[in-house]
Amino acid sequence: MFLEVKQIRKSFGQEQVVTDLTFSLERHKTLSILGQSGCGKTTMLKMLGGLVTPDGGDIRLDGASISHKKPEQRNIIYLYQEDLLFPHLNVFENIAFGLRLKKHPAKEVRQKVETMVESLELQGQQSKMPHQLSGGQRQRVSFGRAIINNPALLLLDEPFGSLDAGTRQRMQQLFKKIAGAFSITSLFVTHDLKEAILMGDEIAFMKSGVLKVYKSKQAFIEDPETGVQSEIGFWKDLK
Amino acid sequence: MRTKSPHIGILFFLAIGVLPFAAAFVYALLYSFGAVGVLNTSYTTAFWAAVFRSGEFFKSLGYSAAIAAVSVAVSVGLALWLVLSYRRDFEKKALSFVLYLPLAIPGVVAAFFTFQLLAQSGFFARITYALGGIDKARQFPDLVNDPWAVGILLTFISLVTPFFVLLFMNVYKNERLGELKTLAVSLGATPRQVRWRVSIPILLTKTRTLIVLYFIFILGAYEVPLILGQQSPQMLSVLIIREMRQFDLAKIPEGYAVAVLYTFIVSGAAVLLFYRKKKTADAF
Repeated sequence: MFLEVKQIRKSFGQEQVVTDLTFSLERHKTLSILGQSGCGKTTMLKMLGGLVTPDGGDIRLDGASISHKKPEQRNIIYLYQEDLLFPHLNVFENIAFGLRLKKHPAKEVRQKVETMVESLELQGQQSKMPHQLSGGQRQRVSFGRAIINNPALLLLDEPFGSLDAGTRQRMQQLFKKIAGAFSITSLFVTHDLKEAILMGDEIAFMKSGVLKVYKSKQAFIEDPETGVQSEIGFWKDLK
Repeated sequence: MRTKSPHIGILFFLAIGVLPFAAAFVYALLYSFGAVGVLNTSYTTAFWAAVFRSGEFFKSLGYSAAIAAVSVAVSVGLALWLVLSYRRDFEKKALSFVLYLPLAIPGVVAAFFTFQLLAQSGFFARITYALGGIDKARQFPDLVNDPWAVGILLTFISLVTPFFVLLFMNVYKNERLGELKTLAVSLGATPRQVRWRVSIPILLTKTRTLIVLYFIFILGAYEVPLILGQQSPQMLSVLIIREMRQFDLAKIPEGYAVAVLYTFIVSGAAVLLFYRKKKTADAF
């Protein structure tokens, strides 16, 4: 398996936020993780990204343990819930940020950013500053900035939570397209049932710090704890 | 009624804010050309020619600009370092009080404190003498009324740094710099890259107008250089007041000429600054 997480746990004071987290993920797949607010999803992602230190357990990426590596050495990118762009940089420089850090040649940076801008359907927006963009555009720039670095693993923390329904749907489609085109391996955290089913190749449910990974989408749908059955019941009763 | 109130506001602003200043400026301009004034009889450019010929104005302008630039640069640098290294400590009540306190101290009081501390007969000189570091007062380094303006610079830095610390802390919070730093780390930035490519550029970009305004403010400062400055060159405001209060009444128009010149330079800089800011804002 490409990503192997073994018995990761984390407490803040007396509160156990993540309990014996164990799961694995194949290369170039997306694991959707559904869970309500405060169930430990963000802490889990931040531990994988190295932004929060776990109390115990091991994280292995491509066969090697990364538990003790610094965040900048993991090649794992954590994407915030909100479309957080660098306010002092324009669209081009925001996308190029990671490449500039690694001191890629200017010509290569230009070429890669232009390809990414095209993939994100952001042509003509390169010189705009973040506050000149719509929510959907900002989120696309945020994606582009992460994906252009060719991360081993992309961690998406409710990335479409702040978007309206229409934009959210378009962004879901765009992400699917880009994830396929750039062979992205990702964890996609959401509290939206439909989004969890749509976005993941595999699906998991997190509750009170415990993660349950389902063998199939059907198993997820049939488990009454996930809330899918009550959702189906709601729409049926409405008829 | 609603349509009238903005006009009343503008008229009030013109009457209170613009008209007295404009009248004073016109009076100074006329005085500098000999059109008004006790000893003046007719229009002349002699006073302006004298100002340009003596070169004292430009020496004073350069001296003031250097002091303002060093004070602002050191204060901004110090404030950046403090905010990026000790932000959490400054959020505590006791330390935040330490930050606010210098803002309440008037320039003249701060200058007096500096004088009492750093003069050759001051507190530090006496301690050094008591400890056997010096035998005579004049052996203590000249830190006030000195050619390098050490006293002036220290006073301005101690007055301005707390302001920039508070300003940067506010921008840090409003711009969500903490989250942007985490994001940069996630994108592969080392702590050094986070500081130089994210934290410092954001803090400076968001505050550059205020930094320039503080430069202009220090350029025209009066009390601090009056108490702690040397005889020549003097900072601009001190030079202007000195010229205007000369016993030789014929010299007063030269003081007005210097004041007019100074107003032109500062107003021009302010207009340019806000024009650029507006242009940038319009582009956004």
